[in-house]
Parts: sequence; C-alpha cells; structure tokens
Amino acid sequence: MAAESSTIGTVGRGLVLPVGLLAVWEIASHSGLVNRQFLPPLEHVATSAWREFASGELTYALVTSLRRDLLGFALGSGVGVLVGLLLGLSRVADRIVTTWFNGLKQIALLAWIPLISLWFGFDETAKVVFIALAAAIPVILNLVEGIHATPAKLIEVGEVFRFNPLQFVLYVYVPSAVPSVLTGLHLALIYAWLATIGAEYFMAAGPGIGGLIIAGRERFDMDLVMLGIVVVGSVGFAIDRGATWLERRLIPWQRAYRRPTRRPFG
Amino acid sequence: MSAVPKLADDGLSSIATQPGRGRLEVRNVSKSFEVGGAPIEVLRDVSLDVAAGEFVAALGPSGCGKSTLLRLIAGLERDYEGAITQDGDAITGTSLHRGIVFQEPRLFPWATVWQNVALGLKNSPISESAKRESIAAHIALVGLDGFAQAYPHQLSGGMAQRAAIARGLVNRPRLLLLDEPFGALDAITRVRLHVELQRIWAHEKITMILVTHDVDEAVFLGDRVVVLAPRPGRISRVFDISVPRPRERSDDDLVRIRNEVLRVLGDGEVASVDQAPAVRLAS
Amino acid sequence: MSDAALPGTLRARPALLSGLKGAVAGRLGAAIARQAASLGWLLVLPAIALPIWIIGTDRGWLPEQILPRPADVLHTLRDMIASGELAQHAGFSLLRVAYGFAIGASTGLAIGSAMGLSRRVDDYVRPLFTAIAQVPALAWIPLAMLLLGIGETLKIAVIAKAAFVPVVMNTSAGIANVPKAFVEVGETFRFTPLQMLRHVVLPGAVPPIFTGLRYGLTHAWIALVSVELLASSEGLGYLLVWGRQMFWLDTVLVAMIVIGVIGFVSDKALAVVEARLQRWRLDGR
Repeated sequence: MAAESSTIGTVGRGLVLPVGLLAVWEIASHSGLVNRQFLPPLEHVATSAWREFASGELTYALVTSLRRDLLGFALGSGVGVLVGLLLGLSRVADRIVTTWFNGLKQIALLAWIPLISLWFGFDETAKVVFIALAAAIPVILNLVEGIHATPAKLIEVGEVFRFNPLQFVLYVYVPSAVPSVLTGLHLALIYAWLATIGAEYFMAAGPGIGGLIIAGRERFDMDLVMLGIVVVGSVGFAIDRGATWLERRLIPWQRAYRRPTRRPFG
Repeated sequence: MSAVPKLADDGLSSIATQPGRGRLEVRNVSKSFEVGGAPIEVLRDVSLDVAAGEFVAALGPSGCGKSTLLRLIAGLERDYEGAITQDGDAITGTSLHRGIVFQEPRLFPWATVWQNVALGLKNSPISESAKRESIAAHIALVGLDGFAQAYPHQLSGGMAQRAAIARGLVNRPRLLLLDEPFGALDAITRVRLHVELQRIWAHEKITMILVTHDVDEAVFLGDRVVVLAPRPGRISRVFDISVPRPRERSDDDLVRIRNEVLRVLGDGEVASVDQAPAVRLAS
Repeated sequence: MSDAALPGTLRARPALLSGLKGAVAGRLGAAIARQAASLGWLLVLPAIALPIWIIGTDRGWLPEQILPRPADVLHTLRDMIASGELAQHAGFSLLRVAYGFAIGASTGLAIGSAMGLSRRVDDYVRPLFTAIAQVPALAWIPLAMLLLGIGETLKIAVIAKAAFVPVVMNTSAGIANVPKAFVEVGETFRFTPLQMLRHVVLPGAVPPIFTGLRYGLTHAWIALVSVELLASSEGLGYLLVWGRQMFWLDTVLVAMIVIGVIGFVSDKALAVVEARLQRWRLDGR
C-alpha cells in the first residue's frame, strides 16, 4: 500500500510543472498579453498538427527522415564495426591510426557538414554519409575499448588451451566485447537521429522532419515548428527507450541504472 | 605494539570511566520489515541487560536480526516496539555517547585517516587542542601511528578497519557497537585484531556489544555470549564466560565453552570433539 | 654531473659507478626510445597520406573544390593568423561559449543539486526536464530563432541549454548517489544538514559533478558550431559557411582544424583538473 501511494504521489508531482506551464501558455495566448504569433493558443497548435497529419505530409516527412536515419545508421555502424575490429585487434593499426582518430573526433560533428556538402552536394548521398559518420564514431570508440578491456584472465585461459589467433578472436575477444558494442550501437542510434535532423537543417533540399521545421521557421509558422520539435523529441525518446529495452533483452546480466530512492535530505 | 599512551583528562573521558555509565537495557523489542507487501518479523520480544563496562557478543547466523538489533540500539532505525534505554535515558536517535563500527570500514575515500577520525569530533564540545590530542591518541591506540596522512585506498583491509575503530572511539562513547567488524578480513588479520580489540577494551573500559557469526570471536572476546536464533530473531541462549583475561585461544575452558556453543547452534548436529561428560559452564 | 659531486662510497668503487652510469643511461635511453617510437608511429599515416595528397593535387586528379593543395591550406592558415581574422572569429566563438556555458552550467548546478538533495524536488522537476532534454539543442534552434531572433541572445541561449542538460543529470545523480553507508556514519556523529552537505555529500559528489561539467562544455561547443552554422555573421561556424559558399575548401579546412584544436585543448585541460581532483579514487574512473 505504501509503495502504491508514493508512486501516485510521484506521478502527480511530476505533472504539476508541465500542466501548469501549459495552463499559463493557454491563458497568456488567449488574453492577448503575448503576440499570438509567438504563442499560438493550444487548440490552434493541435488543429494545425491534425491538419498536417491528416494531409499525410507529416507522415511522409517522418517516414523519409526515418528511412535516411536507418540507412545512415546501417552504413555507419557497419563501417564502424569493421574499423573498430581492425583498430581493436591490430596493435599496428591502433598505433598508426588512433591518435589521428582522436584528434578528428574533437571536431564537432556538425562542423563536418560544410565539407561533406562540398564533396557530395546537398542530396540524399550527402545526408546519408553525414549520418553514417555520426553513427560510426561511437561504434568504433566502444568496440575498440571493449576489445582492449578483455580481461587478461580470459586471455590466459585461451593460452592454456593453445588458441590460434582466429580462435582468440571468435571465442575470447568478440564475445567479451559484445556489451561494449551494444552500448556503441545504442549511442549510434541516438546520434544518427540527431545527425538526420542536422543534415536536414543544413542540406535543406528534399522532404524530412528537419526540412519541415526549417520551412515552418521561414514562414513564421510557430505551429509547424513546435509540431516538428515534438516529433523530433518523441522519436528520439522512442529510439532511446527501444535501444535500452533491446540491450536489456540481449544482455540480461547487466543491471540497468535505477533512480536512487533515498536522498540525503529525504 | 608501543606502550598505550596516556590519554589526557578531559570532560569526556571522566564521564566514560565513571562506574555505572554505559548501561544498556533492551526491553521486549520487536521489529518487522515490509517486503513486497508482506510483513517479515525480524526481531521478536528481545530483552537484554548489559552492565557498564561489559563486553557482550551477540552470536547468530545470517537473518537472525542481530545487525538490526544493533542498529536499533545505535538509533539508526527508530521504528520498533518495545523500549531501549541507555543509563536510564530512552534512545530516540543517534548519539555521540554511542559509537559504532560497521562491517565495512566506511572511511570517506576523499579524506585521510586523520581527517576520518576527526569526523567523529565535529560535534564534540571539547576544545580544538583536546580534539587534536584525542585523535592522535586514538590513532596510536589502534596501532596506526605514521599512517595518519594516508588515504583509505592506501590501507589494507585490517588497517582500514582499525581506523574505523579509532573513529568509533574518538568521542570516548560510553557504549561501542560493533557490527561484524572483522567479517571482511582474512583469518590471520582477524585473529590479530581480536587481540587488539581485547586490549583496547581492557584499556578504555567502555561497554562493547559485538555482533558476529564467528563462534571463536564471540567466545574469545565476550564476557557473555548471547545466541540468537533466526526467523524470527530471538534470544535462544546466553552463555557466561568468566575465563579471566588476557585469554588464550587454546585455553581448555574456552575450548569447552566454544564446543558447547557450537553444539547449541547446530542443535546437536555438530559432533562434540571433547567427550568429557556434562560440560560445566563457569557461572 | 662531475664525479666529485658523488658520495664517497661511489667514488671509491669505480666498477659500481660505471655500472650505475650505464643503468641511468640505459633507463634514459629507453625512455627516449619509447617517445621516439610513439612519435614514429604517429608519423606513419601522414608519411603515406601527405605524398599522395601533394602529388594528387599537382596532377589535378580531383578538382580544387574537392581537394585543395596542402600548400594552399597552409597559406590560408598563415594569412588568416597574420591578418588577425582567425583570432577575431575564434574570439567571437569562444566568448559565446564562455557566456553560454557559464549560464547553463551555473543554472544546471543549482537545479541539479536541488534535485539530488530532495526527492520531492526531483519529482516535480524531472518529467519536464526529461522532456526538454530529449529534444537536442539542434532541434530547438529554429524555435529559438522565432522567439529570440538571430542575435547574440539566441546563440547564448542555445549554448546555455546544451550545457544545462548534462550538468543537471550528472549533478543530481552524483549527489543522490552518495552512498547511504556514508550518510549513516554522519548520522552517528549527529551531523547537521550543513555538516552532512559539507563533509559527506559534496566531497563524494565532486567527481560526477565535474564529469557533468566536462560533458556540458563539450555539448556547449557543439551547440555553438550548430548555431553559428545556421545563423551567424561571425565566428568559426560562420567561417565554415562562408568558405562553403565561396567554394574555398582551404578556409573550411582551416576552420575545422581550429575547431578541433580548441576542442582538444579544452578537453585535455579539464581532464587534467579532473585527475587532480580525484587523487583519492583508486578505480581509475
């Protein structure tokens, strides 16, 4: 009984701020205190959203974005796994490449867009390349770290059984790096979605959620912009949750982070 | 081991060594926890009197509520039935008059040994110089001279636990509670620390209550051994151990008592090594 | 070091002395050899790539917009430094990050601490915070542009938001995750809330809080680049856009290099500070 009421209490308290903000918004918008263009009434936003959705434009934009996202993610993580394996397993490759890779990694991802657009233009290819780049980086970093962190004890077991290099890779290094790879793929999914939106902002040709938001801004259509942002946030949230669920299914022995219940001051 | 240093006279030490101080009365204490909606009785109707300056060992397997009892006495948990009083005052919370040593040393990793021991005196009314003397004296008392500036991660398990004991004693509490303090240490270190604790107790004359599942430890250190049975936690037997100190583990009387305790714990399942008839317990 | 400076015992035993000298020289030599080796590995990639780059641009294998000559890039770099143009643009960017990070991090520390210390506050704030955190700074930019225009306020607001999120998350987690075991120790010594904060909560929370600040700075920097790419007339992001529009790849590359260097240096500096703060951590995190 005690646990139930505390959950209800938690949820209730959590709703106070969002509901309150929405209420303030509604009132401010209707009362005319704020320019209606800045803060359209909620029903307005809702009807615009419904209009977009019904006309199929929203769905089309979303599907296009997701398709790009998936393509870029698949390409990036595929390349990332290969490069990660190379850098992780080969000391030589690691020594030659890693420092340069770390240096390039420091360049904010979005700063690559002008360069990529110079090389590939503004079309689909450029966007997918950029998304692939965003996805590859966390996969490489995590896979390399996962391989390097293979416990020495397990390697010793392999030595006792006189494993050849291929057996080491298959039975020791790769399995022990699986959790790290999954973390890398999880991050890659998140970054790929961000990169999709980023690519659509800066290479604004063609349909997509990012394009929708940019169009909304140019037309001073607040409804459209807000709708776009809500969609972006929701998809990002769904991707993150989905990835966490998948991770937990695949590695059930990993304990997920749980919000601590007792605080120093209660 | 250097000679035990003379502890300067200050307000606290005189209180601790007064006769009759550090008396504990536990009356009909019961406690339940809620696990998944169903209540679990951890302690049922436990009563115990501890005289000032006595060393009581509470012995029992996991789940017999001995740690819970200690936490109730310490004042860390306040939700229970029954009454616990120290020197006639009801225990309503924690107090500088009750020191506690946990199973893990619980030394703050960002502070040196000195700073960790000093934590105990943050709310003590004595003067700064008296505090410094007490800290230095207690660090020496536990044999950690020269390690005052070390960080916890630089200490071995035994040394860390000794620092925790120094911190528990630095206030000169009337009562020191020890919750399986040596459980995480290797057997050799444990045996060494038993001797240390016995020496410290004899010197400080503080009432001590030690919770443990180690029969040898309980019999070696305690004036009395209180055996607790689990589910629900309750006192099943009390053994008086009036073997004089300093004690030797190989002492015949001690070995006999130990075997009897083991027998009681195993409900006769543990075969008695000693075939002597009707063990007479010293009263 | 002259032999006369050595202790008498060594002077009296020439064999021992030469053995020691050999050992020292050996250790020193080994250290130098190690540094040279890692430097050598570092140069393999440029040693292969550079000749290809030079020959490729000389032969015109790819148009200049795709691959400028290395000499051109160096020239542009030198010119921009000499004319002060680079410093000017970099200055704009750094100033924006400084303001934005200061605002975002301080607000983040305050709110994160409140959330970490009190479950109630966390209950009230977390859902709204999570919703805001889910939307990346990048996505907020068009909305912010509608509300704030395209001036400095916009940029600093976006940067502040980007820094705010990781600082709050790490601060609240760091404070809330102080082990209950330590809090109990404080209780047995009857610590007041202030003492608890000072001696138990804060020291243990410093490492995660600092990690949050590091992430905050990284995100702030990324947000800066995004917002300058979209809406700016000065700054390193602007250089990227301008170079792109004029098909001046060398300018674009120079701007990218500077962005990378600044990112690298600031991250390393913070890592050093982090290491000093965590002398007492043995687990190498």
